[in-house]
Formats: sequence, C-alpha cells, structure tokens
Amino acid sequence: MILLENVHKQYKLGEIPIPVLKGISLNISQGEFVAIMGPSGSGKSTLLNIIGCLDILDDGSYYLAGMSVDVNSEDDLAEIRNQKLGFVFQQFNLIPRINAVRNVEVPLLYSEISPQIRKDRAMKMLELVGLEERAEHSPAQLSGGQQQRVAIARALVNTPTILIADEPTGSLDTQSGNEIMQIFAALNKTGITIVMVTHEEDIAAYASRVIRLRDGVVEMDRKRP
Amino acid sequence: MIIRRKQMLNLLDNIVQAVLSLRDNRFRTILSILGIAVGIAAVMAIGSVSKGGHFMVFKELETFGLSSVWVMRGNEDVNPNRVTRKGSGIDVADIAALNSDCCSAIRRITPIVYSYGINPLIHVGNRYSNGRVTGVGYDYLTINNDTLSEGLGFKPSDILRSRNVAIIGKAVVEDLFSGVSEIIGQEIRVNDRKYTVVGILDVKSRDFLKSIGSAGDDLNKRILVPYTALQLQLGKSDIDVIQAEAVEFDQAATATAQIMTVLEHQHNRKFTYRAQTMSQYIATANGILQGVSLIGVLAASISLLVGGMGIMNIISTSVMERTREIGLRKAVGATRRHILFQFLMESIILSGIGGVLGLFLGVLISSILAWITGFPLIPSALTIVISLVVSVGIGLLSGYYPAKRAANLRPVIALRYE
Repeated sequence: MILLENVHKQYKLGEIPIPVLKGISLNISQGEFVAIMGPSGSGKSTLLNIIGCLDILDDGSYYLAGMSVDVNSEDDLAEIRNQKLGFVFQQFNLIPRINAVRNVEVPLLYSEISPQIRKDRAMKMLELVGLEERAEHSPAQLSGGQQQRVAIARALVNTPTILIADEPTGSLDTQSGNEIMQIFAALNKTGITIVMVTHEEDIAAYASRVIRLRDGVVEMDRKRP
Repeated sequence: MIIRRKQMLNLLDNIVQAVLSLRDNRFRTILSILGIAVGIAAVMAIGSVSKGGHFMVFKELETFGLSSVWVMRGNEDVNPNRVTRKGSGIDVADIAALNSDCCSAIRRITPIVYSYGINPLIHVGNRYSNGRVTGVGYDYLTINNDTLSEGLGFKPSDILRSRNVAIIGKAVVEDLFSGVSEIIGQEIRVNDRKYTVVGILDVKSRDFLKSIGSAGDDLNKRILVPYTALQLQLGKSDIDVIQAEAVEFDQAATATAQIMTVLEHQHNRKFTYRAQTMSQYIATANGILQGVSLIGVLAASISLLVGGMGIMNIISTSVMERTREIGLRKAVGATRRHILFQFLMESIILSGIGGVLGLFLGVLISSILAWITGFPLIPSALTIVISLVVSVGIGLLSGYYPAKRAANLRPVIALRYE
C-alpha cells in the first residue's frame, strides 16, 4: 500500500541545508495501523507529510497503492489527497463559521459529487462518529473531542484508503483521546490503513505497528503480534 | 491513473462559500461595500451633472438659433496711405440680392441695424428705459427662436413701409409700463419718434452664458423695430449685420461663404467680410464641457480607486486570517485554482453589491439634481452597464493579488500557521 525507498528530505535554513530524513525505507501494507514516534526533530512530521502527499521528497521513491508519486505538480498531489487520503490534525482545523455537517462536506466540494449526495454522505459520516445530533452546531459549540470526531467524519467522507493522523489526540484530555482511538481502532477493523504520528505511548499502544525515528532514520520498527 | 476533476467548483457552491465567509465579518464587509458604492455613485453623479450642464448650455445656445450665422464687415488693416472706406459694406440692395435664389444653404435672412453710438432716449411720459433699439427684418423672430407673449408682431408690410412699430422685451415693459394692463397699441418715444407696441417678447435667459461672459446684451431689454424705420430715423442706409439661418446645422460654413460671395460681388470687392456661426460657439462649448466632465470623472475615479484598495485590504486580511483554513482546504484536495476562485468570488461579490448599491445612490442623487434643476438627468442604460462592469472589474483587479497569494500557499506551511 505504502512503499518508501531510501527517502531523503532536507530543508534550508537560510543558505544552510538541514537534512531531516536521511534515507528512510518503509513498507506499510493495507489494513495496518501504524504509529510513528520519535523525539521532536526526528523527522516524524516530515515523514507523515510525505506519506500524506502534502510535501514532496527530495530523493528516493514513494509508491502509493502501487503508483509512483513522483509528480511535481501541486494540483496532481491535491488530486491524490482528495481521492485516496483522509486527514486528521492535532488542531482539528474545522472552519469556524460553518456548521459541523458543512465542515464534513468540504472535501466533497472538490470532487464531482452533487450537492444532495454530498449532504447525505456527510450526515452518514456524522452518524458513524455519533454526532448526527450535532450536525447543525458550529465548531465553537462543540467540545474538543466532538470537534475531533467531526474532523474524523470529514476525513472519511471521501472514502479514503489511508487515514493520515498528525497527533490526533494531542489537544485532547485522556478520556476524549481514548474515545478517538477507539474510533480509529474500529475504522482500522473495516480495512482502512491508518498512519498516525504521536508522542504518547498509551496512544501508540492502539496501533498494530510502531515505528520510531531518530535523527531522520528509522531507529526501531516493531509489529505487534 | 489520476482522474481529472473539474477545474472549478460549480458557481452556486462558490457563491455559497463566499457569502458564508463574508457574513462572518459583517462590519468589514459593509465598509468595503460602501467604499465601492460611494465611488460608483460619485461617477454617476458627475455624469449626471455634466449631462445637466450640457443641457443647460444648449438651452441657452438655442436662444441664438442653433443654425444661425452672422456676416459683417471685416476689420481691414488700416493703411495710412489710403482713404479708409466708410460704411458697413452692406446695404438694402444686398438684401434683395440675398433674397433672390443665390444661396442654397440659407433658409432665411434678416438685416440687423444697430443704434450703437446714438443712444436714443426712450421714454413714455416721464418713465424712461435703457433698452436697446435694434432694427430687424421680418424673419428675425423665427431665426432667433423668439416667441411673443402678447401681440401679433410685425407684418411684412410694416418692414416695407417703414412703419413705426415696435416689439419690446419684458424688461422694457417693466421700465415703461409697470401697472399698465393693455400694452399692445400703446406708444413709446424713441427720441422724437413714436413707435406703437405690436408685440411683447417671451422672457429669454442667458444667465449661464452671461456668467462666462458671452451672453451679449440682456435679451429682455430689446426694442425691435423695422430696420427700414430705424434707418429713416437715424438717417443712414447701411445695414450693420446680416443674420441668416442655414438650412442645416452643419451647413453654416457653406451659408457664410455664399453670403460673403454675394456681398463681395455686389460691392466689387471694396470690402472684406467676416462671419460668425453658432457651430463655432457650440464646438467651443462642447470642448469646455468635455474638459469639465473629464476632470469630474477623474476625481470620481479616485474614490473608486480608494474603494478598490479597500477591497484589496479586506481580502488580504481575510487571506491572512484564514491561512489555516486555506491549508485545510488544500490538504483535502482544493487546487490552486479552487482557492483563487474562492477569494476572487468574495471580492467580486463585494464589489458587485457595492456597484448595485452605488447605482441606486447615483440614481437617487441624479433624481434629486433633476428635481432641483428641472433637467432630465436620469442615467442611461449605458451608464448603468458601465458602472456595473467597472465595479466587478475593480473586484477582479483588487481581489486578484491577495487571492493569488492564498492560492500559492503551501499546505504544509499554511496548516502550521498560528
């Protein structure tokens, strides 16, 4: 499903190049639930951005569902993100002025789907995360856990094959965090591949595989039996 | 491989998204709409004012007769070695020549004899007037668009037989006959002669022309008498000016040329002549009016420019405040074009609403001006179309830069923006 070969990525700090990823190779199969861990500066967010097609690698290769992601066009990357990937962020990133169901609809705005089907599908996703009652609420009227559940509904609305999650519980209390993880675990059982960055061990414990990075290389890659 | 999606949201989605975000910041939205509205209204008001000015000037120019031409003796160089020929160079025989079918471009003519330099004393009993006595032909009233409020005016025979009759202006009536109810048939004295009043002229205004110094005398102080009678009284046979009406407005130059040819022929080229035409004055007036409206439109455009800058400002601020939203939209699949059009749509909606509002304001201002001045100043369909196109154009221009900036944001960076 996700195949990374010898991936390099560097950023420029002024004129000085700072290598962030120094030759990472990974193979993530369909249906896996992967937690990427590591201290700050280890490159875990950069790796997630590359897997999520939000960023382009400098060297190496990346195959997503058997297809090479060597495009340089931003619009082509947007296409892949729209059709194959769902995103959950630490800050939820809901649009504050529109209600929950409209927030869930946003990814569908950018694909060929009629407004009526859009709304139906958004409502179904809200049901899936148990928030159908709150469909007309604005983000400000929802708790952090509820907002993250709306964000998950949004990530799922375009039926992605991979869910990309960047510290999904980082802004939540323990109980809400665990609720989110239970939703993740349930989604994973339906066959969705999940790649998640976290620095919390008990959150990582939900994953079936933990990859630890240090200084831009894989330090440890362990699958749960 | 990659399935191409449509390049743009459908229009309705685009508008809904834009309206939702504009509603979010009502005060700012209203302010920038007002900016455009004031600009458009100003442009339209200037348009109406210059149209009104045009109307007013032409209404006054019509008091001369728009196809009028005047021919008189030229100002020849004074040659000390030659005896300067005396006289106006036009006499009664010339009128007969001009009245024969010599001149295809002329519809009708009238001789004009002035009493300048003679200053006759005009009075009725012990009431005096400083009116101006002018000798004219039968067609004078028609050529000058003059109408009578009372009386029947001259008969052709009055001119032929040099009868002592007079048509007088309203100001002269006030000087000589205030309080008198039946004026027609009364007599006025011009020096030692009595003239019977046979008509009273309608009031004519050249207030605007007077204000720019080209009105001539007060039209309501005229005392018109048959030119033959005035010649008799003054003891001269000259005619000072030939006024004629060209068959068409644009035949004025031909008409003057034809008159001058006849006059030169009649007098064996002893005199030279010069001419004035209304079309010259009208061209001058048009030039001035166009200059004035150009300056006005420029001034109003500055307020439109300021309105456009207001829109650019609000869209820029909006882009900055919504950096994370832009990042999110791009992360879930929005292309650069999607983002560009989202913000352009917001800016077009702002300026479009501003344009419509400005239109209503402009119509309101024009209607008030029309009510005050009495001129029809309702904006034309063209004005309306132009102001709407201009306001939407301003929206596009001023929204483009911030929208482009939003579209070019990289999602990774935008999502991290605090």
